[in-house]
Amino acid sequence: MLKYVLKRLSAAIVSMFIVITVVFLLMRLMPVEGYFGGRADSMTEENKQRILENMGLLDPWYEQLLNFYNDLIHLDFGRSVTLQPNTPVVKILGKKLPYSVGFGLGAIAISLVLGCSLGVLMARRQRGFWDKIGTGYIVFINAVPPIVYYLMIQISVTAATPLPMLFNERKPLSFVLPLICMALGPTANYAMWIRRYMVDELNRDYIKLARAKGMPNNKIMVRHVMRNAFIPLAQYLPSTILFTISGSIYVEALFSIPGMGGLLINAIQKQDNPLVQAVVLMYAVMGVFGLLLGDIAMAICDPRISLSRKGGSR
Amino acid sequence: MAKKERWENVVPPVLETTPGYIPDALFERAPYDPTAGEKGGYSNYSYWGSTLRAFRKNKVAMFFLWVLIALLVFTFVQPLLPGQRDPNLINNDPETGYMLKNQPPSSEFWFGTNAIGQDLWARIWSGTRTSLFIGVVVAFFEALIGIVMGAIWGYVRKLDRLFTEIYNVIDNIPTTIIRMLFAYMMRPSLFTVTFVMCLTGWFSMARFIRNQIVIIRDREYNLASRCLGTPTTKIITKNLLPYMVSVIMLRMALAVPGAIGTEVFLTYIGLGLPVTIPSLGNLINEGKQVMLNGTLVYQLYYPAIIISIITIAFYMIGNAFSDAADPKNHVE
Amino acid sequence: MENNVVLSVRDLVVQFTLRGQVLTAIRGASLDLYKGESLAIVGESGSGKSVFTKSFMGMLDKNGSIKSGEILYDGMDLAKFKTEADWLKIRGHRIAMVFQDPMTALSPLVTVGRQIAETLELHQGLRGRAAKEKAIEILRDVGITNPERRYKQYPHEFSGGMRQRVVIAIAVACNPEILICDEPTTALDVTIQAQILDLLRDLQKRYGLTVIYITHDLGVVASVSDRIAVMYAGDIVEIGRSDEIFYDPRHPYTWALLSSLPQLGERGEDLFAIAGTPPNLFRPIKGDAFAPRNPYALKVDFQYRPPYFDVSPTHKARTWLLDPRAPKVERPKNLDRIREMGGFIHE
Repeated sequence: MLKYVLKRLSAAIVSMFIVITVVFLLMRLMPVEGYFGGRADSMTEENKQRILENMGLLDPWYEQLLNFYNDLIHLDFGRSVTLQPNTPVVKILGKKLPYSVGFGLGAIAISLVLGCSLGVLMARRQRGFWDKIGTGYIVFINAVPPIVYYLMIQISVTAATPLPMLFNERKPLSFVLPLICMALGPTANYAMWIRRYMVDELNRDYIKLARAKGMPNNKIMVRHVMRNAFIPLAQYLPSTILFTISGSIYVEALFSIPGMGGLLINAIQKQDNPLVQAVVLMYAVMGVFGLLLGDIAMAICDPRISLSRKGGSR
Repeated sequence: MAKKERWENVVPPVLETTPGYIPDALFERAPYDPTAGEKGGYSNYSYWGSTLRAFRKNKVAMFFLWVLIALLVFTFVQPLLPGQRDPNLINNDPETGYMLKNQPPSSEFWFGTNAIGQDLWARIWSGTRTSLFIGVVVAFFEALIGIVMGAIWGYVRKLDRLFTEIYNVIDNIPTTIIRMLFAYMMRPSLFTVTFVMCLTGWFSMARFIRNQIVIIRDREYNLASRCLGTPTTKIITKNLLPYMVSVIMLRMALAVPGAIGTEVFLTYIGLGLPVTIPSLGNLINEGKQVMLNGTLVYQLYYPAIIISIITIAFYMIGNAFSDAADPKNHVE
Repeated sequence: MENNVVLSVRDLVVQFTLRGQVLTAIRGASLDLYKGESLAIVGESGSGKSVFTKSFMGMLDKNGSIKSGEILYDGMDLAKFKTEADWLKIRGHRIAMVFQDPMTALSPLVTVGRQIAETLELHQGLRGRAAKEKAIEILRDVGITNPERRYKQYPHEFSGGMRQRVVIAIAVACNPEILICDEPTTALDVTIQAQILDLLRDLQKRYGLTVIYITHDLGVVASVSDRIAVMYAGDIVEIGRSDEIFYDPRHPYTWALLSSLPQLGERGEDLFAIAGTPPNLFRPIKGDAFAPRNPYALKVDFQYRPPYFDVSPTHKARTWLLDPRAPKVERPKNLDRIREMGGFIHE
């Protein structure tokens, strides 16, 4: 078990290292205007050169890269250029993060409950009422670009109910719509996965054996089907949770929530290179980390993995 | 339908009673034809025939197929129809010379006009063309690059390890981030949007092709086939290609709504197409800007409806096709 | 004899609906099962032998159902059962099943001991410690060494043969009257097969079970069964005591089946194979289903379905060849060698 985790961990660290390097190198290709903060036109060439030099951007690329690693280890992501000039990026992220995490956790909780229940309902009676409703929902969510239904929800619900359209920290009612919007996607995914895995499990021989030995369906569902169906889900769960709590790009921008996703859009629109770089890095690292956690979660749930690594009989 | 009834009304042959009198002449040896025994079996199986039949039985998918065909045909015919306007033309009132901005839908402007007096009807169809164009191009390149890279990955054994490692690393990063990063680095244009989508889409296709090639080598039924002296070309065309082609087609079908969605996303965060090229993403964006004004919401609704129909249709057709292509769902 | 019938199937018809088409898997099969006997149902794949026995337990796939006929058991007609609650009275409790592939028949996330213990909880009302002790006892009964340690292990820590013993242990834990063994040795190594068959015979005696073996392996049949039912295209075409079927077969299909025994092959000649394929059960079958593949077919075979003709009180076959009006047809000569081979059938 430990050996397996260490092996996955080292692979993840290598991936992260590569990802960080690639992001850094790509950032060198970005428009340099992003370092002058909208004053590029009024600045002289000399001034521009001086700014770039101060930021260490004129050093040979390998020196820049080494400096970059060094900064990262000290959690220094540089300073914002245009969005909040001269504020350290870490500080900006620190202010945004709580909002994203809060909304993310709320949305995840909602979608886990709704998605798993929907998936179980769908799998219990295939081609039944819930299966049809759920399939329609999943198709809609997967096919239609999210912004389309987010906008529709924002317009129609705020017109029909007193729910406010934009986020306001002091009005808890304003949390409702963003939470619903953020939960829609993960709910569909969980429902789809749970249904698929449960249907897979239902056709297994050991479910037939459990039926043949006279086990009531409800017990089979709880003891055998759900248990087995949850393992593949455990692998995806950490990534989806991480991505949801790292902020929804659409929803945060749409409801003016001061979180990470909204920040990324603002940074892009204002061409704030250091900020874009930091946020992109964070998302990328999150991806690697989520998969690592998923593999570990699966190893914990499934006795076959942990034991086979100990060299047990197979 | 007729076929179904015929089988269902068959009286279980079991209950057929033997008549009391059977002519003695029937108790003669019948001529034996060794080939007759084959006829009763399950012959005449044709993969594509069965796939097509199974697909036709899916009524929802057939419905969407017709909707999509109608939509596609109309999109291309629309500019040729009489009385159509240029999607980028700013319409002015001939008497006052002012812009005809935010006109509600009327007999003159079927879908109304936008904030600078452009004809929404013309823009929507032009935008649909752009979005479909992006979708189809992306689907094509995803398939092309994916197949070529996958074939190299699978055939050249030395590269397998390296490619697999690279794939694992890239697969760890959300594609949205990769796309945004590249779109950010490049100038907003039709090429940029298409390029960033092609950049990431082919990975999974390449992986699929690679796995299929490994299967050609290792799967037992192919090994058995080879032991029986079946030439490799026949193994590929009979055992592998049907499945491969059906998966490739499924992925291409799903790539289209994916690409349309990504275009909307990139445009929304300001990295997409310039406003001079009408696209569904641009239209949604324009609609969003005026949506708070209740009377102008139609500028958001029309493109939203069109985009929903197109993406759902592609998605449904793709999935129905992949179900139909699965031999497990074939009967006879 | 009549009193000893535990299970009686009459004119059973089972149909499946596949994508709007109806497949008749069982076409009016009848069978009497006697208490304490072991009956083998043989036939090629797709002959319906699995479906036939699954219908006794309400284990048909969702798209399948009993269209007509009766399954009489303990004063009940199982063919009339509709609800899950009805079947729970039978499944495991009265009729249990051993599956073909032990590699997939055990839930991978539940310890082997737990899977047996939960069966005991369901059917023998044992709880906690008592269930555990009984489970260990049964594990020992099915020949698993060190059962206390094995109790806590997961299925993937067992070999194929050992897993099949666990599957059998689960069936025994139900304490059933009838045990259905669906190809119990097909997925196992040849060396293990004999051990498992020995174990089943041993358990049958010890627990007083009535056993149905489903198999396409005539070697297995010969070594375990008192009686044999031969199935073709969803119907039992011949049934009789094992010696009657092996030494005095009457149905041309049984002839063909026995001729394909490799032991009957001549050196230097191809082994016998039945020409053609089984009929498509999506279509109605006229007359004798085997007629198109039958070199001995009569004209009447293509017209009317034959009734059962009694050969002896224990032996009957569904073929027009047994009708008094039929021409005399000699069965293939090489079948006589089965008797010469001797010792082929267990006594």
